[in-house]
Amino acid sequence: MTVTELPLTGEDATRSRDRLQVHRARWHNRRWLLLWLLAGPGILAMLGENDGPSMIAYTADGAQYGLGFFVPFIPVLFAMAYICQEMCMRVGAVTHRGYGALVLQRYGRAWGWFGAADLTLTNLVTLVAEFVSIRVGLAYFHLGSGVAVALGVTLVLFTLSGGRYWRWERIALGLAAFNGLFLLAAVLVRPRAGAVVSSLSFVPFPGGNFNTLLLLLASTVGATVTPWMIFFQQSASADKGLTARDIKHGRYDTAAGAALGAVFGVGALIAGAALLTHNGSGVQGFTGAGFPGALTHVAGSAAGTVFALGLIEAGAVAILTICASTAYAAGECAGVSHSFNRSPINAAVFYAANVGIALLAAVVILIPGAPLLSIALNANVLATVLLPVSLVFMVMLANDTALMGPRANKHSTNAVAISVIAFVGLCGTAYGIDSFLQATHLIGS
Amino acid sequence: MDDAPGTSGAGGQDLQPRQCFAGEQAIHLERGQLVTEASRPVPRAALGAGAAAGLLALRVFAVIVGLMVIYTFIGQLR
Repeated sequence: MTVTELPLTGEDATRSRDRLQVHRARWHNRRWLLLWLLAGPGILAMLGENDGPSMIAYTADGAQYGLGFFVPFIPVLFAMAYICQEMCMRVGAVTHRGYGALVLQRYGRAWGWFGAADLTLTNLVTLVAEFVSIRVGLAYFHLGSGVAVALGVTLVLFTLSGGRYWRWERIALGLAAFNGLFLLAAVLVRPRAGAVVSSLSFVPFPGGNFNTLLLLLASTVGATVTPWMIFFQQSASADKGLTARDIKHGRYDTAAGAALGAVFGVGALIAGAALLTHNGSGVQGFTGAGFPGALTHVAGSAAGTVFALGLIEAGAVAILTICASTAYAAGECAGVSHSFNRSPINAAVFYAANVGIALLAAVVILIPGAPLLSIALNANVLATVLLPVSLVFMVMLANDTALMGPRANKHSTNAVAISVIAFVGLCGTAYGIDSFLQATHLIGS
Repeated sequence: MDDAPGTSGAGGQDLQPRQCFAGEQAIHLERGQLVTEASRPVPRAALGAGAAAGLLALRVFAVIVGLMVIYTFIGQLR
């Protein structure tokens, strides 16, 4: 086919170079190379969600309740995340458009902007929590907020400096590999193998009152599936240049991300469970500042150091992916260039949103006396409450045969996806209403 | 609903060659991947009254619960 009339941009040329590598690998049947070239958005979405607040939530679960229930529950949540993220990847690969652009164009500007507003709000709150996570990790090494802010913002600027999606993605992937530090921390606390295996039976179910159980479910669900993941993976799949032919590898990528995310999440849980016999004192919630120190006390300085480094990594990777999802949404909804493959001059809104939201979150961290603990605790809950709306549109897009053709959702996928939406919606809503009733003293805590 | 332009869905564009040319330059992208094509808006979907009302109800509900969470957050600050 000859396309002589279509004007080419630098973005086309850059993406074309990346796709040439894919074509060659496929042509020469180099399977592992093909997998390497096509991996990225799925792993980054899943490991990006293994962020600071999430890892602290898993660790707190372990410290408060031990291994039972959560060891199998975390993989189940990541399986749910896979269902959602596979749809994002598939829609991005088939339509070559991001989630924000498709919702805005297909269902109207109001829905598009509503989604973008939700995303910006939850992303800003979550980013503050990511900076807190870095600060908590650095505090173990006697470094303060200023270093955390400098590290996070410098990382965002550094990854954006190449003007190429491939470069941004590989740096983020390289950093995300260090999410494995939580698995190393689990090994260093020397858990009993028998206890880990026996916990696979979902028992004992966590005790405590109904409110505690809701908090537990909402925060753990919010630690696994969030709105930014939807925006990010679909847009990144399109930006990377995935096509319908790459869907199989996109599924491998997403499944690998889910598997790694679950394993590393369980690692954090096991590390936290080492504190169970010490009553988890002083380490609940985001006073997780005490986790590295507590682990040092229980399992030695290596475990504490590894855990602190893991928190820094978790926050850093999430800052990159969450800023990227904000930038994609801003560019798509404004109808302007939104690609890492363009220069800052040609995609000013995209780059400004990417850096701007990071700077905004950084400023909050530096405000003396800012309620960082409350912000961090409410970040996951707010994301869980707003997630069902994004998921419903995702399912609608994945079922849109005019867009997706034969790659639209099957009935079985829809059944599972609707169950996931119902479960997430129920958890978020129940906790949102319950906490509100408690705050207004309409029910007792 | 019409096929959306630039997508490789029911319109059959997936069957096109993996390479296209612009002038002398070989571009290893599907036509729908080119910025010019991907920038074209897809046609608006026709939502039924029931679907639109359902989405609106879900939206309002999410906003109300979101406000509850924000209220709780502000309450925690006191």
